[in-house]
Amino acid sequence: MGRYLERTECMCRLLQLQTEALVDRPARDIYVGWRRLYGVLRRIPPGGALALPDGDDFTLADSYTLAGDLTFERSNPDSVWNCFAQGRENARQMRHCISGEMWQRLNLAYLRLRDMEIEDIWLALPEGFYAGLAAETDAFDGAAQATMYRDEGWSFLRLGGFIERAQFAPALLLQQLAIDAESDGYAEEDWASLLEASHALEVYNRRYGAAVHPAAALDLLATDPLLPGSVYRSLKQISGEFATLGAGPGADSGYAAQRLIGRLLSLMQNEWPDSRDREGLLRRVLSEATNLHFMINEAYFDYPLTVRAG
Amino acid sequence: MNFDSYNLDAAIYDEMLLPDGSPREHSQQLYEMLLSISPERLSSVQEGVARSFLHEGIFFTVYGDEEAQERIIPVDCVPRVLSAPEWTLLDSGLAQRLRALNRFIDDVYNGAHAIADGVIPEELVIGCPNYRPEMLGYSPPEGVWVAICGSDLLRTHDGFFVLEDNLRSPSGVSYMIATRNAVKAGLRRLYRASRVREVEHYGNLLRQTLCELGPGGKPDPTIVLLSPGVYNAAFYEHMFLAHEIGAELVEGRDLLTRDGFVYMRTTAGLRRVDVIYRRVDDLFLDPFAFRPDSMLGVPGLLDACKRGNVTLVNAPGVGVADDKSVYPYVPDMIRYYLGEEPILGNVETYLCRRPADLEYTLDNLDKLVVKRVGESGGYGMLVGPHATPQERDEYAEQVRAAPADFIAQPVLTFSRAPCLVDGELEPRHVDLRPFILQGRETRIVPGAFCRVALRRGSLVVNSSQGGGGKDVWVLEE
Repeated sequence: MGRYLERTECMCRLLQLQTEALVDRPARDIYVGWRRLYGVLRRIPPGGALALPDGDDFTLADSYTLAGDLTFERSNPDSVWNCFAQGRENARQMRHCISGEMWQRLNLAYLRLRDMEIEDIWLALPEGFYAGLAAETDAFDGAAQATMYRDEGWSFLRLGGFIERAQFAPALLLQQLAIDAESDGYAEEDWASLLEASHALEVYNRRYGAAVHPAAALDLLATDPLLPGSVYRSLKQISGEFATLGAGPGADSGYAAQRLIGRLLSLMQNEWPDSRDREGLLRRVLSEATNLHFMINEAYFDYPLTVRAG
Repeated sequence: MNFDSYNLDAAIYDEMLLPDGSPREHSQQLYEMLLSISPERLSSVQEGVARSFLHEGIFFTVYGDEEAQERIIPVDCVPRVLSAPEWTLLDSGLAQRLRALNRFIDDVYNGAHAIADGVIPEELVIGCPNYRPEMLGYSPPEGVWVAICGSDLLRTHDGFFVLEDNLRSPSGVSYMIATRNAVKAGLRRLYRASRVREVEHYGNLLRQTLCELGPGGKPDPTIVLLSPGVYNAAFYEHMFLAHEIGAELVEGRDLLTRDGFVYMRTTAGLRRVDVIYRRVDDLFLDPFAFRPDSMLGVPGLLDACKRGNVTLVNAPGVGVADDKSVYPYVPDMIRYYLGEEPILGNVETYLCRRPADLEYTLDNLDKLVVKRVGESGGYGMLVGPHATPQERDEYAEQVRAAPADFIAQPVLTFSRAPCLVDGELEPRHVDLRPFILQGRETRIVPGAFCRVALRRGSLVVNSSQGGGGKDVWVLEE
């Protein structure tokens, strides 16, 4: 549940920026936005790979199709609708473990969302729709914070969200670095929108001023210990939840997961500052964060039955 | 509101009104409220009830060829009121009935004295699809085979009748409580003034009951609720009950057996389980004992149960007592085991396996309700008076081909109660499903889920067949 809702929120934030960009940004920025989104999801856009338009004619019609694909397409497992519906379905399956307030908030949002299609939001205010849904997931987090019993269910809910972040954040950074490499340089606007999508633009401006420099932005998004969406902080939060949960009955996997997260933290803390291959480090974090998911499953749920009754 | 268009029929018992149109004494307050409330206000109460179910996500899931559909049981906001004396009668009659049914099941698997004494024919018991020879010789804690029962009752001018006893996995108690919460919120002033007895403590009573049935009288046993899983139509109820009784909600894959004991996988390791409130059918409970292809059960579960290391509630094999062919013998069971006269009557029933009953059934198909003994939920049933001649002929062929699979009952003109339909009060047929718990003592919450045949003229109250629900208000003395 935590993972699905976190992804819903991330997708909504990116799509909100993307639809806002349609109002006044040049076609190239819009292209970069879609490219980043599809790259993170490793999904082929409807109609095939995206191409940088020659002129300023990246049409609204294309964006309409792409937004529909990423928002309401039932066959796209990462569409906003699917992520949210899966989060709600997970919540339904464990309603006895979450609070009534959490369930109601999720269910009410789902009831509003379930019959919508892209045309319902497109002509009105699509960015408002995405902002609203992101706000729903924030409100769900608030309800969880205020009402959920702090047992292992709470830890697993948080763990899911942090693992999602630990995958989503490096994936997003890697996409931007790839776009920079292809463009033979960087566009300040790309990094600014990336910071904004990561709730980091205000912090960046406070620390570094108005001009956005990719190296500084990358450092902030990757290693800042206080920024909620940074790679390092996400890993640190995972480590914290592991400490709360213990190694679990599948102790071998549990300890292996704890060691892995320790290595990743060390990587971001000690190797990152001097590394010349930051892309490589991000790739490694992305890959190992995916492994963590399976290790957790084995440590706590699907553990081998050699364990004796205690 | 008014009753101007209310089609009061003196031949049919009305739960609120006397044949002259005046209210029954215990319905006086509700009647006056209905007269004083505007149609718009009552409709908004009705909408509030529906909204409450929608927002809470209280639904059953129907899986078809396309996407799964979440359906909400339509609930009528006008409660059905029962007086204290009426409830006292039901309470004692239902407790008596469950005591006798438990004695009967225990006898079936331990000596079969009732068969030897000619109280019930052996072939009915042995031939029952829910008879489980695997349970022969088993003795559950406190002699309780059925700890949770949901009986369906009808009322006519002649009183209450038990239509059937649901002993295997009686469902609907979550709807009873959800309906109460929703209706109470909509009619709060009337509810307070009416001095209605509470039903919300059902979870406490259920927990007490289950705790009393732990193996070897173990105090504070570990209880789990075994569900077939999230795709089961009644999953909401499973989740609700697990929450109410403070039990873990588990599926078969969450449990395992070791050395004759049952354990639950937890994030802290294996934990022994003492009582399993199971909502999985007998045949799927244990692939070692029953269907080997079951993915819902726990290998070795029955062995653990028979060793007395875990209690299954309700015990496997109890379906032998709620078979439609066995049902006509319940009054005799009460006399035989308890030495008492039945407080609640049965509906007259013809067993088509008997030649005389078969002949009568075939000759009177247009006056009878004919049911398949193995079906439930209103399926496989012929309502003779409402069927076409062709439907009756086709059904008669099926009855002739396998008479033992059918029973027949007269069409009862069972009671009706006012319902809000399209902004007006109209009478609809209603039944009553109270829930009876049997541990060391019998416990019955004063209330029930009232099922309503929402289609005009329909006698079918099953939710799968277009039925709805209603709150039942049992008044204090």
